Amino acid sequence: MKRSRLQFVVIGALLLLLVPALAACGSGGNSSSGPKVKVGLVTDTGGLNDKGFNHLAYVGLQNAMHDFSNVVGSVKESKSDADYIPNLQGFASQGYNLVIAVGFLMAQAVATVAKQYPNVHFAIIDSTPSDANGNSLTLPNVEPLLFHEQEAGALVGVIAGMLEKGGTTKLKKNTISAVGGVSIPPVDKYIAGYKWAAQMEDPGVNVLVGYSQDFSDPTKCKAVANSQIGLGSDIVFQVAGGCGLGALQAADTAGVYSIGVDTDQKADAQNVIASAVKRVEVATYLAIKDVVNGHFQGANEPAFTLQNGGVGFAPGNITLSSDITAEVTKVENAIKAGTLTPPTQRSW
Amino acid sequence: MAAPQAPTKPAKPGETSMPVIWAKQLGRLIGAPIGSVIFAFIIGAIIVLITGGDPIQAYQGLFCGGIGLFCTGDLYSSITPALEISSTIVFATPLIFTGLAVALPFRAGLFNIGAQGQLTMGAIAAAAVGIHYASWPGFILLPAVLIVGTLAGAAWGGIVGVLKAFTGAHEVVTTIMLNYIAAFFLYYLLRGGPMQLAGQPEISANVGAGAQLPHFLNGNGQLFGQPIGVYQAHTGILIAFAVAVLFYILLKRTALGYEIRAVGQNQRAARYAGISVKRTLIITMLIAGAFAGLAGGVEIAGLSHQLTIRYATDSTGFDAIAVALLGANAAIGIILAAFLFAALRVAGPVMQGNANVSQNLVDIIQAVILFSIAANFLRTFKIRLPALRQTPPGEDAPMVATTVTELEDTEPSEPAEVGDTA
Repeated sequence: MKRSRLQFVVIGALLLLLVPALAACGSGGNSSSGPKVKVGLVTDTGGLNDKGFNHLAYVGLQNAMHDFSNVVGSVKESKSDADYIPNLQGFASQGYNLVIAVGFLMAQAVATVAKQYPNVHFAIIDSTPSDANGNSLTLPNVEPLLFHEQEAGALVGVIAGMLEKGGTTKLKKNTISAVGGVSIPPVDKYIAGYKWAAQMEDPGVNVLVGYSQDFSDPTKCKAVANSQIGLGSDIVFQVAGGCGLGALQAADTAGVYSIGVDTDQKADAQNVIASAVKRVEVATYLAIKDVVNGHFQGANEPAFTLQNGGVGFAPGNITLSSDITAEVTKVENAIKAGTLTPPTQRSW
Repeated sequence: MAAPQAPTKPAKPGETSMPVIWAKQLGRLIGAPIGSVIFAFIIGAIIVLITGGDPIQAYQGLFCGGIGLFCTGDLYSSITPALEISSTIVFATPLIFTGLAVALPFRAGLFNIGAQGQLTMGAIAAAAVGIHYASWPGFILLPAVLIVGTLAGAAWGGIVGVLKAFTGAHEVVTTIMLNYIAAFFLYYLLRGGPMQLAGQPEISANVGAGAQLPHFLNGNGQLFGQPIGVYQAHTGILIAFAVAVLFYILLKRTALGYEIRAVGQNQRAARYAGISVKRTLIITMLIAGAFAGLAGGVEIAGLSHQLTIRYATDSTGFDAIAVALLGANAAIGIILAAFLFAALRVAGPVMQGNANVSQNLVDIIQAVILFSIAANFLRTFKIRLPALRQTPPGEDAPMVATTVTELEDTEPSEPAEVGDTA
């Protein structure tokens, strides 16, 4: 019976350890002024820890909860696209004031649920709601949060084109590349601006574009990036969320430059020269603020641009020469002023 | 360890009354599954505690979100129980089909990990028919969609059976590979391929109205405070029940079912008795694939009405393995296990949204259920605890049973050997 007694001792010890944990729970529940504004956030399949737009949307929600004491936020993560509709309905059916869908791929699900709950406000990042045939819809209770990704893509494209023209890059084949996740507008707009600006600075530059068909598995983007580097790409622009971290690693391994996306990614790889930034957290915050203040815009919500600070670029780990930074500033001002307009459509 | 024996000696089998035997059999059959579920919930509670959550709130969320019970208090009173029950029915439907698709080969000594790929192919074929012939009337189109889905799944499963029977290729390897082929075929179709809806990657156009299975609740009004359209439970669950009955009849009341069980228990003995092992293996995989393919067809017809990448990324075909094991490879057990897993799946987001406990808890519970069934913990407890022990164990009783197949008497004694069929 020795062993049994030992087991009891171990279990008893474990239980004792758990008592403080028990006591620790059950706190919380701070009172707030004003009517509660319940905000539900539904992530796409990337989940909260994607280091990309799901994470940024969550940051926006947290910032709003910090600034407005009456905002109560909740999150549901989607494991597959089968969860989009139940998760959106889950919040709407409980009388949430605002339900935020993170991502282009939820366009149809948002339209379906928004029509079922006309009194609930919805916001969707990167898309307008769309019907069963894929046509975009204008619904009074849905606020599309759209970004001019091509403007951010153009700024990093200027850097890439200037570096190629300067001939200071490693492989000297006058080639740069982009690794996309899946060919959807928010991805293609980044690449369209990147390609356009690089060729504006260096008309002879060859721009390779590949898709990993994935947004979460780094090994797939690493494979695409490696094949591009094998073809002579000196600068790899990742446009594939969590998958694209693999492209940044591939560039580090090969000793070529890389460009991050959506958020400042200079901490994720050594050779990141810049990141094309999309401020999803600002858009999410503003959508919540609109509902709190009773100024919900619906379909009239303006897009987030370079002009209003919704997109931009963040410097990386390599110090750029003054003529490159001057050129970036020049193009930035021209885009803001409307004298330069980067394309939004695929041309590859 | 010398526990006092019961005063009366154990009765001989002939002297025990039938109800007692039945009760013992029932206890042996459901003891391990129920024990493993309870064990998993205890482990889950400990993990919630360690990570600073409140297990009572978490489990209240699971009950409320899964089966609509205990939806009270500040956290959960805003939940509509009927909506949660409806969603659980929705998610249970494909799990029943695929659970049966895993269980049938188990009975023949085959481990079908390919229910996922068979479901994918069934969904692709069903959607292709439903979209291409969208204008057909329902009484033709709906059966066509379901039958084509079934056949596509059967073909995908049949490949495995043929390879196993004629080349001895191990079904675990071939099913996993075929899962990948099916998944990447789906990605190709929906990411810039021929079935992608213009400008909308990862989804196809909708199937025709005639290809849609009716929902249980229809109309434009309100029910339980919600618009009726949100109750997505569809009549596919009735097809699932019918297939479960078919599964039972097939195994217990037909010659083929006897052959499947005979092959599963001992291939050499089955062959000696005049059963064609090759034929039985192929037919088993054809039927299993048909079950999983029908799951894809029913999901297209009843729920999504379009092809989406969920048919490759969702874990239905893999959860089905756990469902089949938890359900002890029996029809009624699989239905109950499918509802348990569906309830957990539906409840996870409710728990996360309302109590802020990560829905990964659900994954942990499912994994512990599977793990403890595989390791046959109950047997271990019986050996360790004299009070539960009915017969003295051997001197070197193993702490952990080696195979999951010891769950039930009719289970195969060992996995089918490749060499036997070659």
